[in-house]
Amino acid sequence: MQSNWNRRDFIKKSSAATLAALAAGAPIASMLSSCNSKKKFSSTADTVILLWMAGGMAHTETFDPKKYVAFEKGMKSNDVLSTFPSMPTALDGIRFSEGLQSIGSVMDKGTLIRSYVAADMGFILHSRHQYHWHTCYEPPQTVAAPHIGAWIANQLGPKNPVIPAFVDIGQRFSVGEAEELKAFHTAGFLGNEFGPFLIPDPSQGLESVRPPVGMDSKRFEQRNKLYNDLISKSPVGELGSDYQKESLKRSMEQAYMLLNSPEAKAFDLSLEPKESYDIYNTGRFGLGCLLARRLTEQGARFISVTTEYEPFVGFDTHENGHTRMVGMKKMIDGPVAQLIKDLHKTGHLDRTLVILASEFSRDMMVEGRPDAKVQEQVSQPEVISDLKFYGMHRHFTDGCSILMFGGGIKKGFVYGKTADERPCKSIENPVKINQIHQTIYHALGIPEDTQYEVEKRPFYTTPDGKGKPVMELLG
Amino acid sequence: MFIMIEMLLNSFSVCLKKLIACQIKKHRAKLIFLLFLFSTTTNSLIAQGKGHPVTDHFWLWSFLGRLHPMIVHFPISILFVALLLEIIAWRRKSNNFQSSIKILVFVGALSAITAVALGLLLSNADNYESTDTLSIHQWTGIATMILACITAYAYLKLSPRTKKMLLTLTVVGVTIAGHYGASLTHGDDYLTSVLPSKSSSTAGLDSMFILTGNKGLSETQLMELNVQVRAIFAHNCNNCHGAAKVKGKLRLDSKEAIFKGGEDGAVIVPGKPDESDLIKRIKLPRSDKKAMPAKGKGLTQEEIAVLEFWIKQGAPWPKGELKSLYRVAELAPRMPAIPAASSDLVNPIDRFVNVYFQKNNVKWNKPVDDRTYMRRVYLDVIGLLPPPDSLDAFANNTATDKRELLVRELLNRNNDYAQHWLTFWNDALRNDYSGTGYITDGRFGITKWLYSSLRDNKPYDVFVKELISPDSSSMGFIKGIQWRGTINASQRTEMQAAQNVSQVFLGLNLKCASCHDSFISDWKLDDSYAFANIFADSVLEINRCDKPTGRMAGRRILYKQLGQLDSNASTKNRLKQLADLLVQPKNGRLFRTLANRVWAQVMGRGIVEPVDVMDNQPWSQDLLDWLAADFVANGYDIKKLLYNILTSKTYQLPSVGIKDAGLIVAQDYTFKGMLRRRLTAEEFADAVSVAIEPVYGDSMVVYKLLPDSIKKTIPFPRAALVKNDPFLTALGRPNRETVSTSRLSQANLLQALELTNGMQFNNALKRGANKWKEKYPDSKTMIKEIYRKAFGRSPNEDEEAVAIKTLGNHPTDASVQDLIWAITLHPEFQLIF
Repeated sequence: MQSNWNRRDFIKKSSAATLAALAAGAPIASMLSSCNSKKKFSSTADTVILLWMAGGMAHTETFDPKKYVAFEKGMKSNDVLSTFPSMPTALDGIRFSEGLQSIGSVMDKGTLIRSYVAADMGFILHSRHQYHWHTCYEPPQTVAAPHIGAWIANQLGPKNPVIPAFVDIGQRFSVGEAEELKAFHTAGFLGNEFGPFLIPDPSQGLESVRPPVGMDSKRFEQRNKLYNDLISKSPVGELGSDYQKESLKRSMEQAYMLLNSPEAKAFDLSLEPKESYDIYNTGRFGLGCLLARRLTEQGARFISVTTEYEPFVGFDTHENGHTRMVGMKKMIDGPVAQLIKDLHKTGHLDRTLVILASEFSRDMMVEGRPDAKVQEQVSQPEVISDLKFYGMHRHFTDGCSILMFGGGIKKGFVYGKTADERPCKSIENPVKINQIHQTIYHALGIPEDTQYEVEKRPFYTTPDGKGKPVMELLG
Repeated sequence: MFIMIEMLLNSFSVCLKKLIACQIKKHRAKLIFLLFLFSTTTNSLIAQGKGHPVTDHFWLWSFLGRLHPMIVHFPISILFVALLLEIIAWRRKSNNFQSSIKILVFVGALSAITAVALGLLLSNADNYESTDTLSIHQWTGIATMILACITAYAYLKLSPRTKKMLLTLTVVGVTIAGHYGASLTHGDDYLTSVLPSKSSSTAGLDSMFILTGNKGLSETQLMELNVQVRAIFAHNCNNCHGAAKVKGKLRLDSKEAIFKGGEDGAVIVPGKPDESDLIKRIKLPRSDKKAMPAKGKGLTQEEIAVLEFWIKQGAPWPKGELKSLYRVAELAPRMPAIPAASSDLVNPIDRFVNVYFQKNNVKWNKPVDDRTYMRRVYLDVIGLLPPPDSLDAFANNTATDKRELLVRELLNRNNDYAQHWLTFWNDALRNDYSGTGYITDGRFGITKWLYSSLRDNKPYDVFVKELISPDSSSMGFIKGIQWRGTINASQRTEMQAAQNVSQVFLGLNLKCASCHDSFISDWKLDDSYAFANIFADSVLEINRCDKPTGRMAGRRILYKQLGQLDSNASTKNRLKQLADLLVQPKNGRLFRTLANRVWAQVMGRGIVEPVDVMDNQPWSQDLLDWLAADFVANGYDIKKLLYNILTSKTYQLPSVGIKDAGLIVAQDYTFKGMLRRRLTAEEFADAVSVAIEPVYGDSMVVYKLLPDSIKKTIPFPRAALVKNDPFLTALGRPNRETVSTSRLSQANLLQALELTNGMQFNNALKRGANKWKEKYPDSKTMIKEIYRKAFGRSPNEDEEAVAIKTLGNHPTDASVQDLIWAITLHPEFQLIF
């Protein structure tokens, strides 16, 4: 059991009325945070939004463009570093790949990391690297490792008690590798309570937080009353109080509160003004960004929005890389930029940390990393005869880009660097996953050595409690 | 939102007002004086305490002191709210809150005084380092308390402006004091807190006896002294001077290292404690920079005395094998004598429990009634609710041995039994119908084998043998889960086999020791590798924390008492030898582990907890030993074991509720009867299916993975036979990527949401409502039937009235659906009691 007394425990023990009062009075809540006895620093963020570029997003085709070579039949694969020209951004001397101009225009509000290095885990399996990114542990593990969102939910609890602390938007679990995806979309040993609230389709988000289909609010209210009346009339009261009964009753009350709360309107995207809705509406990912924004405004804690992983779909470009990237950029550019702008305008960006990341990058030639190449999965011809071979089709783990905005992150800052010639690997300030996690935890005020005792062994947020936040990223 | 706070506070203050407001007014002078007196006395207490480096304290002071972290929240929040109300009142130019604020300020001041007093006790009694942070916290705290008292006075006597100003100041003070309080570190002893506690390692040993003995020490005394010394090091020093960290190049976790010393040379001068650096450093005042331990609390006087005594004796170290610092359970089986029977206590279980009850002053309660009993055994043996007619018949049956007959009958329902216990064993053997690994052929299911083994009640020794020395139908357990790519050395499949075999069959945790020597037991990295190596085709190289050591693993079984295997034999033969050695009757641990697991399944808590830590103290060693020995004597028959338990008076005791899930594993637990538990995900789904309407369609059953003959035997698509889904996950079915031997039965929000508006569940209710409406056009009959099917009883008048109100005289689909929803979420439906 975890012994440090945290806000979560407090919230768990409070009555519904107190919960509502707490939700209203931010100052009271922030006073309570001092109860974390180990906390020695103040937080700079309350909310995290993770924008997940699922499937391996090539850095050279997005936020770290290299020499552009236009397509022509008979060109040599090895000559191609980027398949798009680069465009200026809000930052002097920093250019993004064509098609990301909107995100480029908000870079004065955030930090660009160009030197993320993914783990070396041999023959590549996307879901395995995604598991590693999200839990900081390489699978398989002896115990079920929690998702970073679950850790945050466990440590900080919901920001607004009626909005689940960990919301996961956009991933369906009916796709290939679904079991592997499920394996890290979990709170693991922390317990279901801290697990993700799954919203596979953001436009259906409201369905998850309103009374069952076909039930109006009056009937919903009556049903709840019936439930409470039947319990009060039942001889089961003789069984006295115990935690199962109490936790059941309390959870049912919470669920009722959530489904009946005004905040649940945040899930209803149809309430968004059309003009704004249209900017976000590039599909499920874009609407996911919109939902994330609306939830953040109502007090969300951790939200993940994914472009969705499905083998060979989305960023997982095993062929037609160039053509497909045009579409992927359209999918992300507008919504991501708008999310930052909107959060900035309402002031929420100050305490909201937005991260855009992917499990690894891609390259046309190198599978794995230059000094540890692994079994290739795509046959790339030496000479390109067809457009379908023009693109980054191999999995590259040695240099990826990450964007971070808000929540105490430096503005207009660039960290790290990759080589300008192939292999375009990280050559300055390489960053690993445990540092990214610790940076996020640091911004949230969660101490580096946070751990949970499972089977009598301390299980840290990052393996062995190692890994330091990258303080240079924090303003 | 302000309105909500306002309402809350107003109701709060009205209550308080009635109770104490006038009291305070009457006695205010006395009160304030008393409080000052209290704080000054505590202060002088502390002043006296200073100068002594470390003192042991009367437990009550420590206890009260530790209430400080809880109590401090009162002044913080109460004073803050008072200020908040002042601000609201000021903005609204209203006087409505004045009486509430006054009360809040008074209660705030009172609680500040209490907090300060307790804080002083804490800083004194718990040997905090006297750092700047502590003293700032202490003095700002005291200052704030005084300020709060003045403010309280101001609210009686002084002008509005003064009191507002004072209140603001107080809140600033509270904030500062609170901030420094929070900065005080409490967490440095995290790791050591899992070590055997100081009290238990010294308990049972009269240390004064050692300390006064001036002649040479006997062998036993030497051994005990050694345990004490190592326990002190383990508890206080090894965090920084051990395998994990080696500060000052000093380790204190082995004989060689202790006598070698650190970068400044030897730390121990045998025979001369006063010249030993180790003693000097631990005796320095806590404020000294060189004082040890550098972080956290100092050693107690007794601990220092033990170390001094040991060095004075010449720092002796026993030869040969040392006694463990940890509790290690006996491996050998033991058949304790069964206590005498009495007229109504015949079953040996009851006779052992009777002795336990007498020792612990627990009274035998009346056994539960027939209906409760029948519901329990139905759920525990076959995982289904009893049909209402059977309940009636059973209640009306006058045979004296009807409970025994019932259990026998249920145990004979082989397929129903298998379909229920499959869930438990799937969790334990982490067998599932879908999951990671299958995609890359890195995992194998064992469902067919497992189902048939349960259905045929395969003797447990054979069951274990077939899992450890498997054919293709049962190899999935030791083959582990292999993801594509390279994996961490401590997670290679051979190591997974070692971890899982030891956890499931021996109640033993090898996970720590598969990466490095364990910090929580005596198991070493080499032991784990030697065990894992038995499962390996080629000899494993030992990796420490994922780094190769260049040493090759041996091949041996964890307990050498069980014998040796031929390390050069083929893997197949080696596994056969391993299986034979593990299931020998002399491996008492195997059978205790099983008996304890079965007990825990039907009683809500094991005789040993956690059920995977069989080295822990059972609440009755005799009972556990007898169950295991009897299990062996009865041919490893799990059903016989179940029969013994389920027909005991012990099982028939009324259920016991607990306040907090954490108490289940508490080591000071006293057994009084079965712990109330919630239906598992599968039991709940099946209960809904039986009482209302099948939750799953036939197409959901994984027939392909099950024995061909199963189709005829399933009463309806049982939840144990379908793939995991969001509904079952929310209700606690684990993902079976790792071994899981117990389930949490606590409800949570995600679960409640799934039950409130989840598709799977609501669709079943909808279908059910439609059918029920057709079948029972009359509301009263329907309500009675729902109650009978779901709760096994008729509704009482009040319940019927409430239900009628919902259904009206002509039930609609919607109203029936709402009623069955409320019934299935009812604690009486959800709990096994």
